[in-house]
Amino acid sequence: MEQKIAISIDDLTVAYNYKPVLWDIDLQIPEGVLMAIVGPNGAGKSTLLKSVLDIIKPLAGSVTVYGKPYKKQRHLVAYVPQKGSVDWDFPTTALDVVMMGTYGALGWIKRPGQAQKKQALEALEKVGMLPFQNRQISQLSGGQQQRIFLARALVQNAAIYFMDEPFQGVDATTEKAIIQILKELRKAGKTVIVVHHDLQTVPEYFDWVTFLNVKKIATGPVAQIFNDDNLTKTYGINYKTSIVE
Amino acid sequence: MMTQYLDLLMTDYTLQIITLGTAVLGALCGMLGSFAVLRKQSLLGDAISHASLPGIAIVFLVLGVKDNNGLLLGALLSGLVSAVFIKGIISKTHLKSDTALGIVLSTFFGFGMLLLTYIQKLPNANQSGLEKYLFGQAATLLASDVWLMSSIAGIALLIVLLFWKEFKIVLFDADYTTTLGFHVKFIDTLMTSFIVIAIVMGLQTVGVVLMSAMLLAPAAAARQWTNSLSIMVFLAGIFGAVSGILGTAISASANNLSTGPVIVLVATFFVMISFVFSPIRGLLFKQIKLWKNRNDLKLMKTLMFMYNIVEDHDNISHPHKIQLLNNFQGYTKKSLKSLQAEELILLEKDSWSLTEKGFQVAKNLYTQQS
Amino acid sequence: MSNAQIEIQLILSLVAVACALPGVFLVLRKMALISDAISHSILPGIVVGFFITHDLASPLLILMATLTGVLTVVLVEYIQKTGLVKEDTAIGLVFPSLFSLGVILIARNAGDVHLDVDAVLLGEVAFAPFDRWMYNGMDMGPKSLWMMGGILTMTITLLSLFYKELKVATFDAGLAASLGFAPMAIHYGLMTVSSVTTVGAFDAIGAILVVAFMIVPAACVYLLTNNLKKLLIFSSLLGIFASISGYWLAHAMDTSIAGTIATVLGLIFFLVYLFAPNRGYISQWYKEKQQKTEVALLVFLLHLANHEDEMERNSNHLQEHINWSHQLARKVLKLANQNNMIEIENEIISLTPKGLEFTEQAISYITDNKNSELEGIKQNYFLFRG
Repeated sequence: MEQKIAISIDDLTVAYNYKPVLWDIDLQIPEGVLMAIVGPNGAGKSTLLKSVLDIIKPLAGSVTVYGKPYKKQRHLVAYVPQKGSVDWDFPTTALDVVMMGTYGALGWIKRPGQAQKKQALEALEKVGMLPFQNRQISQLSGGQQQRIFLARALVQNAAIYFMDEPFQGVDATTEKAIIQILKELRKAGKTVIVVHHDLQTVPEYFDWVTFLNVKKIATGPVAQIFNDDNLTKTYGINYKTSIVE
Repeated sequence: MMTQYLDLLMTDYTLQIITLGTAVLGALCGMLGSFAVLRKQSLLGDAISHASLPGIAIVFLVLGVKDNNGLLLGALLSGLVSAVFIKGIISKTHLKSDTALGIVLSTFFGFGMLLLTYIQKLPNANQSGLEKYLFGQAATLLASDVWLMSSIAGIALLIVLLFWKEFKIVLFDADYTTTLGFHVKFIDTLMTSFIVIAIVMGLQTVGVVLMSAMLLAPAAAARQWTNSLSIMVFLAGIFGAVSGILGTAISASANNLSTGPVIVLVATFFVMISFVFSPIRGLLFKQIKLWKNRNDLKLMKTLMFMYNIVEDHDNISHPHKIQLLNNFQGYTKKSLKSLQAEELILLEKDSWSLTEKGFQVAKNLYTQQS
Repeated sequence: MSNAQIEIQLILSLVAVACALPGVFLVLRKMALISDAISHSILPGIVVGFFITHDLASPLLILMATLTGVLTVVLVEYIQKTGLVKEDTAIGLVFPSLFSLGVILIARNAGDVHLDVDAVLLGEVAFAPFDRWMYNGMDMGPKSLWMMGGILTMTITLLSLFYKELKVATFDAGLAASLGFAPMAIHYGLMTVSSVTTVGAFDAIGAILVVAFMIVPAACVYLLTNNLKKLLIFSSLLGIFASISGYWLAHAMDTSIAGTIATVLGLIFFLVYLFAPNRGYISQWYKEKQQKTEVALLVFLLHLANHEDEMERNSNHLQEHINWSHQLARKVLKLANQNNMIEIENEIISLTPKGLEFTEQAISYITDNKNSELEGIKQNYFLFRG
């Protein structure tokens, strides 16, 4: 079965302060997968997302989205940053944050109007946060904040979703709700790429996985490549499947 | 005194100019200060204002005249140069931002002092008045200065309105903004430039030493009253303007009070009031909530204790002696009365009984705990 | 040199050392701006103290002003703890208001207090030799010389008594607490010393320039060494050097002494910033450039090692694939060639045995996050650096 390639990363190398963080990454991500990126701390998982999204300038290599350079395809890509990367004491409401997802389509200067508000409310509904739309964001729980971030990405109505550790510091209900939405996205033919920490849930949540530790260790369907061998190669310790089950 | 001042305000043209000037300046600083505070660059303003001093002196040395706009331009350039230095030190060395700010602030200011003392000893003695930039002298404001301030404030307002959406999203989440295709560096530079301009505009009125407070205090006060960025910026503008007007009024009605420090103290007063009395974030409100929670907790503990007694009986509304509660330390007459007021228990002379509602509430609490 | 001149230089040197010592710790503890806050907010303490004693060198005044300084720190930390505003905003709110209070106190009591805000903020060491301490009709020398001498003696005594504690608390607060060193006591001790020093020094050099005396020497030396003892010694020496050269420069130009010293300090910092080996701007710039080429070289070698097929190793193809500019590609190719890492045959590039060995070692170090060892193998393998 020939699958369309959503994202193609070629020879991507990234260095922070001239210390190499990612090495010559070649990665083809097929359309319609729900993929986990796993690897130990400092493996460059978040950096991979950020350099694909042009937040960090790579030293070498290129990224194409559906065959064209990322810069021309921004509108196809949505990003959910790590929850801890922003100041949640910022004076704004849940609805307002979700509205930010419409800014990209609006472009410079133009203000969001009723149409944008409607989109935002729909996204809030989808993540079960409609009753909290006027809450100040600092008064939301960690799980609720994560849902807001997800809603903001949903508003973008993109084809590809990048998420940086969306399950970190969220409650079990939220985790279930988020994975449900991600699975729905996949069903709708979207591609979802998630930096993930919890190895135990990989087989349950994802159908595609990339092992990363500075270099790409392996990538492919979870059923085929999520095994002790690759885990050991990635984490450097002997992994027994029993840990994973 | 108030009426005296108002009479004076009606008739004294200079006072009108000064009041208008400090009001416009306060509004401008409050508005742009909100962005500085939210960007966690509160002290950048302090460094830049101190660092503008040599620019003023150099322009005077070169031009030899006290052309106000020229001096402000010098201050602006020197402020921008200092910002570049601060950024260079932070990005190229392992020194942290606090050290970088401290170095630039103190050495630029020192250089400014060197130049000022050099100028004072020059033969053409037309230079007195440069010191006003140290502590500010609102009294020297002219109609043309106020015009300039108002135009700048107008432009700043226009820019803020135009780029509102962009400013907001960059302040909240710069990385995400990049992925949406916005040029974050441009937005950032635009914001910083206007903050620097606001600082320079305020030098003549409040001086380099106190300028940072003009920027921070109204914004810090405004933040406490609202959770909306637009209201915060608006309120900060109002607080700034009112600080300016009140400060000018107080210093005009009293002898020997320079305007700058009075404005700063008025603004600080707003901050204190806001810290304590704001209904959403204020310390007083938080304390009351804490007491209330503690009180509620006590009541609920009493209710749980009663539930434990009642649980084994078939009839939940069976009355029990109050003495039964004596083993339990948490109850008082008052707490029993408030439980009755909430219809959780029924009191009769020396006995009590749980109501149906009380039983359910206690049962819920119980399941929640286990 | 007249007697007065010698005395001024002595006072300035004492001030420089007394400021540099706590300054080192402020810089290391990322609290440099606390000195800015203290230097402004001691004003009301000075005014009230002066109002009572009418003597800038009186111990009571010093005590009151020091307390104001410590109060500033307490206030700042209290506001930070409430979480109502961000950390640096708390500093920016406290010191201007206390300073304003001081200015207004002076203005309201102008008749009684012959104290000038300018004098407090800017200082004038040139007058110091005229305010002398007479004891039993004997001239003991300038008061500020005694005062600064006393403060410096206290600082050095405390420093030598608590050197170990200070060192541990500065580099690892958690460890200090577990060793029972009471980091809070050390913190407030340091704040008190900084306050006393600021109060003692403002008369000579002015409150604002105390910041320069505290921060700049420490920052300069910190660009050259990490060693705490060297930091303390060389910051002090640098402070003395800047003070004396600044004094004579000011003498020659007839300008503010404190301002000139601060300018000299600024210039010294600028030079160190540019030329410091390893950490200076130029050295960093050069290192970054070198590292950039060398990382690029590694990328290139790794690419060759990773890809077997000749298509990927064609020299024409490489440039478009790795997405490098022509210039960088050529530089990397040249460097690889110079170091005998690659050989080119019919436009197909392949690794030499040496190149392969180097690449494999480099990869293993990078995946294990041993970047320092990476430098080591570069030394071993490279004939030419990037």
